[in-house]
Formats: sequence, C-alpha cells, structure tokens
Amino acid sequence: MTTYLANYSKGQMKIQQMAFALVAMMIFFGIVALFYFSIKLNSLKSDAQSLQEQEAKELVRKIASSPEFSWTSTDCSNCIDLDKVSALKSRKSYSEFWNLDFLQVEMVYPLFSGECDKSNYPQCGKITIINNENHGLELRAFVSVCRWEQDKGGYAKCGLGRISAAGINLK
Amino acid sequence: MKGKRGFEFSFAWLFSIIVGAMIIFLAIYATTNYVKTERTIQDTELGKKLGIILSPVETSLESGKTQLISFPTETRMYNDCSPSGTFGAQRISTATKSGVGEEWRLPGEISSFHNKYIFSKPIVQGNSYIIFSKPIELPFKIADLIYILSKDQKFCFVNPPREIEDELTSLRISNINLTSSISDCPSESESVCFTNTGCDIDVSYEGKSVKKKYSDRVYFETTSLLYGAIFSESKDYECQLRRLMNRASELSWIYYSKSLSLSSKGCNSNLEANLAIYANETFSIDNSLRLKNIAIDSDIIGRKNDDLSCKLF
Repeated sequence: MTTYLANYSKGQMKIQQMAFALVAMMIFFGIVALFYFSIKLNSLKSDAQSLQEQEAKELVRKIASSPEFSWTSTDCSNCIDLDKVSALKSRKSYSEFWNLDFLQVEMVYPLFSGECDKSNYPQCGKITIINNENHGLELRAFVSVCRWEQDKGGYAKCGLGRISAAGINLK
Repeated sequence: MKGKRGFEFSFAWLFSIIVGAMIIFLAIYATTNYVKTERTIQDTELGKKLGIILSPVETSLESGKTQLISFPTETRMYNDCSPSGTFGAQRISTATKSGVGEEWRLPGEISSFHNKYIFSKPIVQGNSYIIFSKPIELPFKIADLIYILSKDQKFCFVNPPREIEDELTSLRISNINLTSSISDCPSESESVCFTNTGCDIDVSYEGKSVKKKYSDRVYFETTSLLYGAIFSESKDYECQLRRLMNRASELSWIYYSKSLSLSSKGCNSNLEANLAIYANETFSIDNSLRLKNIAIDSDIIGRKNDDLSCKLF
C-alpha cells in the first residue's frame, strides 16, 4: 500500500490563510451590511407611515373647510354640512380622493347611535365615508355639525360633532 | 533573496494587491450607490412633505392666503398634472442641489395628491418659494388653487385691472411688480400685459383669455383661474382645469342629493335639473374654450340659490 503525503510550502499556507481571512472578512461585512439595511428598511417604512399620518393630521385640521364638507350658507369656518356629508357617503368616487383609509363624522351632541342611512337620517350617530380594513391610527378633530331644519320657518340646526381620519396603512 | 538587487514580487503580494483592489472598488461602488439611494430617499420624503405642508396654505373663509417656504438647500420642485381617474392627480417630486458628486440628480419618487391643484412652472427652482392660494367658486367653492413661484422668479403686471391690483397688494407678493408701462418692468422679469399686447404674456381681460409666447391661447373665468393661466404652462393649465371641472361635477351631484333631501323636508329648491345639466357639462369639458358655457350655467344656478330660503351653498 502506498501512502501519498501532500507537501505544502510555508508560502502556500500563508496564501490559504490570507484567502480564508479575506473570505471571512467579506462574510462579516456582508452580514453587517444586511443587518444595517434591514434596520434602515424598517426605519424607512416607519418614516413613510409617519408621513401618511402627518398627511391625515393636516387633512383632519382642514377637511371641515373643504367644499365637500363645509357649511357654506353662512360664514362658519369650522362647521360641516351634514346633508352634504350624507350625500358624500354614496359617492364611491371619493374613496381614494383624500389618501385616507378611514374617514368618519360622528355626532357628539345631541347623541344618537348607529350608522346613518336613508331610513334613519338625521336621527343617527355617525356617517362613515371611507372604511378600509386594518386602518392605522385614528386622528380626531371636533367640529360643528349643521343641517337644515324646516320647523319654525326653517333654520340651521347645529350640534357638536367629531371628524375621525386615518392615513393609508403601509404595513 | 537577501543581498540581491531588486524586489521579489511573490504570489502573496500579487494576490493581496488584486483582492485589495477588488475590495476597495466594491467599497467605493457600494458607497456611491448608497449615497445616490439616500439622496433619492431624501428627495422623495421632501416631495411628500412639501405636498403635506401645502394643506395649511389652503383657505377656509379667506379670499386668499400667502406663505413663504424656505429650504436649507436649493431645491427643484417638479410639478406635474395627471388627468386620469375621476379627480386626476397632482404629482409632486423634488430634487435637491448637492455639493458632492452630481450637482442635480433626477427627482425622487412622485407623490400624488388628488385634492390639490398647483399652478406653477413645470420646474420651480430656488431656496425659497412664495406660495399663495385662492378659492375657485363656480358658483359654489370647487377647490383652493395653489400658486407657487420661486423667490427669484419675477413678474411685472402692466396696467392690471383695479381688482387684481388691490388683491396682489393685499396678498403682499413681493416678486410681482405692478407698473403702468412695459418700459418700467425690470429686465429679468416676465411681463404681463392687460390692456395692450407685446408682453411675454398677454391677457385679454374682457375676452377672458391668456396668450403666452409660443403657447396656445387659454381661457379663464374668475381671477383664480386667471392667475393659474399666467403662472403655469398652457398644457398644465388645461389639465388642472379638467381636474377642477371633474370635481365641480362630483360636487354638483352632492348638491343635487342635498337638494332632494331638502325637498323632502319641505324646502324645494327646484335646482335639481340645473345641477344635473351642470354636472354633465363640467364632466365633459375637454378644453378651456368651453368654460364660457359653464360660466353661464353657473351664473344661473348661483342666482337661483341666492333666492332660496334654505340655500344649497
């Protein structure tokens, strides 16, 4: 039986050592880079989400004065027209108009319960205009909610309401 | 090899130089790409933020509002209008000037807003932007129009009507000069003539049209659209007008429903037929020339509404 022994010179060993060290170094930097980019990607997602929430916050502040909501018969900057909002609910084209996942107008005072529809309006508690599943953080603002009342010769009847909105959920 | 002249270039040296060069090249390549990506991310974020901070500029009861927005570095805002979909979209993207590498890169990702209408040059460049807004009412409020000018962009309005002069004075827009003669206009400014022709932009206030050099004539109703026609390109103006009219159409249907609802409560407005016609007319607008007919119908609806005890708007 013949035995073969591999003979390595000192130089070859050094080259091998260096190659292994370089490969190990590359793997190490690769892992560090992967780790860094996964953290970065997460922070990017949360930044994008926070921008969506910021947009929703600005919208909640200003939506009462947008023409789809505003009570325009008299000068009232923070009054919304419940008759218009009720009509807006049936307009499907508005589902993506405000970049929102959730938009609702609630009656706070006088208090009623239940979602508004043609049968119970205006004796109802809320009108949901946009309601996508798994929406994010709801932001709220109080507003005056007005509608036309025909009694006593006709007058604008106003109550206290609340607008809730949530930005698009990116998760 | 000691004692001999020269240097032995062993394989170990050669190997380390080649691999070292490869590592350095990869590091430089990765860093450059990383910096480019970071710039794109920052520009994208800035575009979105710019769109968001435009919301407080919009009016509620005011007839106009002005605001100055400053950026830490020189910034380009790309304003684009898309008419597709029910409401179309206002597309905004930005690019910032950099002292390292390429001075200007392509803008970041586009942020779309369906409820904004910006009138400006396709690219607005500068450290500070003057932003002012005005509502458009035909006959009800349709939206707030936002006008964006770079602080370096100068306009010279020659003999504007009293209404425009008063409004611009009260809005305190510093880069719009009001003069009585074209010769008084600063050389670097864009001249806008109201009573005569020969300026960069000629306005026919009576004929309700605006003609820019090398552009098609566009038509307007209300001063908010007049500013829009002056500050934006004719192609963008027509696109934004279509978006605005589509929103007017949707709003007409909302008022139509409100009118039906009020009728059932005993307050009959008799405006349903007018609103339905108006909704169809505004929805089918394809160019600003048709604004004249829309304005006539708008006027009729507005006057009928004024006579109502329970006003629709």
